[in-house]
Amino acid sequence: MSSYFDFFCKNIENEDSQNSDRITGTCNSMCPEDEVKLREQERLIHVLEVWGSEKKLVKGYSRSAADSNMAVPHLLRPYPVLTYTVQYLLMDITRRVDVPASVVYDYVNDRLRAVRQDATIQRLPPEQCACLLEPMIRFYVYYGYKLSNLPLKDYDPVLNKKYLLECMKWYLSCSDSLATMRGNIDHLTGFLSSIDLNGKDKKNKIVNDRVLIENLYILCNLDDLHPLFRYVKLSKDIKRHPKLQLAYEIAIANLHGNYVRVCRLADKLCPLSYCALFTYLPTLQRRALAVMSHAYSNKRLTVPADALAHWLRYREPHDARAACEHYGLKVQGADVRFEKTDFKSDVTLNIPNPQDIREKFDLSIIDIFTYTTPK
Amino acid sequence: MSSTGSLNQYIQYVERMYRTSQGHQLARLLSLRDEHVANRNLRSSDIATLVEGNCLAPLDEIIISHLLCVKALCMKDFMEAFEYQSACVACVVRLLQAQKESNWCLPLMYTVCLDLRLIAYRAEACAQTNGKILEKAAESLLACFRVCAADNRTTEADTKRLGMLTLVNQLLKVYFKINKLHLCKPLIRAIDSSTVKKEFPLAQQITYKYFVGRKAMFDSDYRTADEFLSFSFVRCHRRSIKNKRLILTYLVPVKMLLGFMPTKHLLQKYELMQFWDLVLAVKNGDLRGIDQVMEKYESFFISAGIYLIVEKLKIYAYRNLFRKVYVAENNHQIDIASFQAALQLMGHDDVDADETQCIVANLIYDGKIKGYISYQHKKVVVSKQNAFPSLSSLY
Repeated sequence: MSSYFDFFCKNIENEDSQNSDRITGTCNSMCPEDEVKLREQERLIHVLEVWGSEKKLVKGYSRSAADSNMAVPHLLRPYPVLTYTVQYLLMDITRRVDVPASVVYDYVNDRLRAVRQDATIQRLPPEQCACLLEPMIRFYVYYGYKLSNLPLKDYDPVLNKKYLLECMKWYLSCSDSLATMRGNIDHLTGFLSSIDLNGKDKKNKIVNDRVLIENLYILCNLDDLHPLFRYVKLSKDIKRHPKLQLAYEIAIANLHGNYVRVCRLADKLCPLSYCALFTYLPTLQRRALAVMSHAYSNKRLTVPADALAHWLRYREPHDARAACEHYGLKVQGADVRFEKTDFKSDVTLNIPNPQDIREKFDLSIIDIFTYTTPK
Repeated sequence: MSSTGSLNQYIQYVERMYRTSQGHQLARLLSLRDEHVANRNLRSSDIATLVEGNCLAPLDEIIISHLLCVKALCMKDFMEAFEYQSACVACVVRLLQAQKESNWCLPLMYTVCLDLRLIAYRAEACAQTNGKILEKAAESLLACFRVCAADNRTTEADTKRLGMLTLVNQLLKVYFKINKLHLCKPLIRAIDSSTVKKEFPLAQQITYKYFVGRKAMFDSDYRTADEFLSFSFVRCHRRSIKNKRLILTYLVPVKMLLGFMPTKHLLQKYELMQFWDLVLAVKNGDLRGIDQVMEKYESFFISAGIYLIVEKLKIYAYRNLFRKVYVAENNHQIDIASFQAALQLMGHDDVDADETQCIVANLIYDGKIKGYISYQHKKVVVSKQNAFPSLSSLY
């Protein structure tokens, strides 16, 4: 599933023996000279790389092929440049409003893949990889929700999930190897972030929040038991973190099919966890309506759409009615009549328009990529 | 062979077994669990020069690495022992490759592979390398596996494919130990598609089904898990109490999920009384009791990987609790409020009417309650006949 990840694992295995022949990049800009020349010549400059009269190119992703040698130092960016690149992509590019969000997503996704590729080829140590991957995970979670109702030609949720999982598994494996290498990563990052607090430009810097990622790993994979297997085996101090406990509680409620509880607990989530859960919400709503069409199945009785909207977090009773009609259930005025034979399980998922997270939580996009879990 | 023989006698003996194709005897002579390991004559300081040229071509290397491994083990240097045993396995792989159309050497392969895994465990325990040594061991085992799996032109009686299952079992043990279950899939596929599936020894089949059953359980495929684990449990030798207990550790929760509760006698016999408290709690619909059991035996449930299955059993507790309410009310129309009160009484303090409805709705959807909910009247109307079908009838 994640070729980088496997490759990365192999690298760790061989680390001891091959420490000496590690490649370190020497390219000190976001895009290597060769690529700048080529892309200028071939007119391959992306609209998001044009800032007025100025052009700011970022190295694009290209598949490794048998005839091309990618392990060339002057084509690879060292860790500080990669950090700067990630920061630039997430803090500056995502603020562009002159192009549709899906174009921004495609562009940033491609450039982030190139960053991961550079990190892989250079075999960066786990602590550096973790710092690069953490903001990427935020990016995939945030845009996964923001673009969730776009047609397939503009945004593919399956691919997004693939990249998200790739980053998450890589990140978690980094945290694990760090944890075994020298105690706990939280001590390290906690220490670093406390230094940052004193720095004057603490804002607009990418951060590394392990609790958040562990939490997102559970909430982004609510259909899967494996993140929970991981959770129950985590060390006690991380496991007891209220944020993670909340995620676990939600996952267990979901396991029991308890949609009322899932939605009630969802009100306590932090912005990105909220994105993760609400990307899953349409699936949850569909299952809940299927359950209800059996449980409330009756030719005479109805359930008010208000109650449905309240239970399943539809924004308006109107949205609840629309969803019910979408799945073939009968709507009578303000009420819904459930009948088990009416429910159509083969129609596409009904995805309501996502809410703007920035408005809901009163955050800027920079905040979303940099907020941290209180210790 | 007596344990007092000289090095030369030992070499001659190994050679004779090799020339007369006595696989089991040969395996015993190269085992680390045989009495010849205690023989001081075999621990000379200069094994390599003494053996070299003194012995048939592929055997000399095997004997050298074997004896060096014995020496390292006597010095309690498990890392070095592991290296030598890996070399020994590699030599055996070459030996097997060279022997076309015969499989009498398989016992030797089983022995060196098992020894490799056991040493890897010891080395891992000493060096704490986060599974790296076990992964290396798995690589050596895979090399053997490839030789066996590729031997598909020999007749069924002589094919090395018969050795596949024993190796797969060794590999499964390693993968479960280092928690890399995704690596099991290709192995399972290889065995499933094997033409000699029925010919594998029963003991190996039992081990195999035990691991595949656990894997199915881990992937939430409980019916498959039940099938495989039941096979293992029923066929496992009656005196292998320890193994039967291991199988039951997984079979009991899987069976419970499928609606079959174990008897107290069974749990007592196999010292699995941790489950008895759980059975009682589930039967009584005692949600608080389940939480207490989960807390009390948390480390047991987590280390066995069944913590989340126990969590799933709460659904059965709901069903049993609601059935009690139904019996007590003696009416086929029951207030949601009664169910809610029962939930609160059993430790779900924060449950409200909406959530109670949701829990009932799920039970109706799963067929555990026959009936429907009336939102307007805040009542559950259950079927007049068999309102709570028995759990085991649902699967």
